Amino acid sequence: MAVCTGCSLLCEDIELTLKTGAISQVKNLCRKGHGHFQALFTERIVPKIDGQEVSVDQAITKAVDILRNAKHPLLYGWSNSALEAQRVGIDLGKKLGATIDDTSSFCQGILMELVLTGKLPTCTLDDVRNFADTSVFWGADPSNSHPRLLSRFAYYPRGSKRQKSYEEERNCLVVDVRKSATAKLCSNYFRVPPGGDADFIASVIDVLDGKIPKYGDKKRMIDLGTILRKTEYGVIFPGVGLVYALQDKIELLKTLVAKLNEITTFKVVPMVEHYNMRGFNQLLLDDSGSINRVSFHSGQVTHGPENSIMAAAKICDAALVIGSDPLSSLPFGTAKSLAGVSLIAIDPRRSLTTDAAQVVIPSAMYGLEAGGSAIRMDGVRIEFEPIVKSDLLSDEQILARIKEEI
Amino acid sequence: MQVVVTVVTFRDIFQNEAEKKSRYSEDYRKLSAQITLDKQDMAGLGVKDGQNVLVKNDVGSVVVAVKASEDDSHPGLAFMVNSPWSNQLVRDDVCETNIPGFKGISAQVSPSGESVTQISELFQRMKAQGA
Repeated sequence: MAVCTGCSLLCEDIELTLKTGAISQVKNLCRKGHGHFQALFTERIVPKIDGQEVSVDQAITKAVDILRNAKHPLLYGWSNSALEAQRVGIDLGKKLGATIDDTSSFCQGILMELVLTGKLPTCTLDDVRNFADTSVFWGADPSNSHPRLLSRFAYYPRGSKRQKSYEEERNCLVVDVRKSATAKLCSNYFRVPPGGDADFIASVIDVLDGKIPKYGDKKRMIDLGTILRKTEYGVIFPGVGLVYALQDKIELLKTLVAKLNEITTFKVVPMVEHYNMRGFNQLLLDDSGSINRVSFHSGQVTHGPENSIMAAAKICDAALVIGSDPLSSLPFGTAKSLAGVSLIAIDPRRSLTTDAAQVVIPSAMYGLEAGGSAIRMDGVRIEFEPIVKSDLLSDEQILARIKEEI
Repeated sequence: MQVVVTVVTFRDIFQNEAEKKSRYSEDYRKLSAQITLDKQDMAGLGVKDGQNVLVKNDVGSVVVAVKASEDDSHPGLAFMVNSPWSNQLVRDDVCETNIPGFKGISAQVSPSGESVTQISELFQRMKAQGA
């Protein structure tokens, strides 16, 4: 059995046969996971300095040189690295006096902080399978982002307290701007206009209080209130759609969840995208008191928006990017800023970021070529072993060497 | 002809699979460089499914292919898969939370006779202006 590190579900039941250069037989991989495993054979990279192929040792030495001479180094990425690599990365950040941030900074971070600090009640996915009778996908489309969430945990399976079929025992609600693939599958879809989530929350609170809702279709909102009131164990899965819509109004979600918990049991499980974003957030929280956006500059630990990738990209003079492609995933202005600094990319595969990097260090793919551990989206620790032999260094080994040489 | 839309980005498993195989592939470009428009907006622009449009705002611009929406009517609302193409239009001067507006991009759409923007061109824009 292999573990798929293609998303934060970290499915542990993958059976496959690998032949030279291809996957010949496979069981239990979703389309996204299949693409992830196929990536083992495509767009692999070699160590480079200024576009010229070099040895791994030379690339690491050059990376050390850049980081040692930087006044404001930035360490970014982390969500696609194992816990063991993240641990070394945080220590490297301290040693360098660097700013360190991860992908949660522009997606689930503000929500994850509430979960990890106990300000939002949460549960495991196994609890969802065993107990949940209502799942709410809010600004989230697991059919495209976490393809096996509904089949393994949230909708279709039978659980210890959910022995009947999903049509009888489970409600699946979708709140979204777009009628997504998940919305088409689920029993109830509520469309909100862009940025209309705060008003929708206000209406849900109104109906739970027995008032006429101010926004939305009144009858449908009252029906929704009835479903929520009758729920025995509910789970809200907020996606980035909800986070982006609420931003500094994220407290509204807390208010709604508190209101629901006056009536019944409701938990929140953020729809973390990358397989170990939660792991990095937990490690950094334990270490520095913040889940992301931390600076160790001048031996002081500070936290704030000025340390986010969005802000730090504009003031850093060197950046180490690991397991991430910010030139593809971030706004053009931020990508442009990063493309203009001394960039070190540690990645198994080619990307816009590796193409722009002054130093490229190829790494082993976790779960396929390197073992380690990660924290699933619900907080459960998952261990994985490599399934193929590889001479490539893992992120942990590369970072350990950089840290040692510095 | 021009329509003003709010672009909401989303995830697509087929595009994600194509990305995992290669960001430089034709499949990835086809599945990324497209905008889903309401039929009413398409009629207003005089464009059909598969034709190219210029999507621009004060941040940047891209030429992408039109995909006709199969959803209920949503004039003024457009959808793009999250990708380097949509990110050309996303502001980076953001509010206190420092979270970019990936899901509420104001942009103008107009018919275009140009070919779809290549990923190599997007990369050159980053390098040229970042240098």
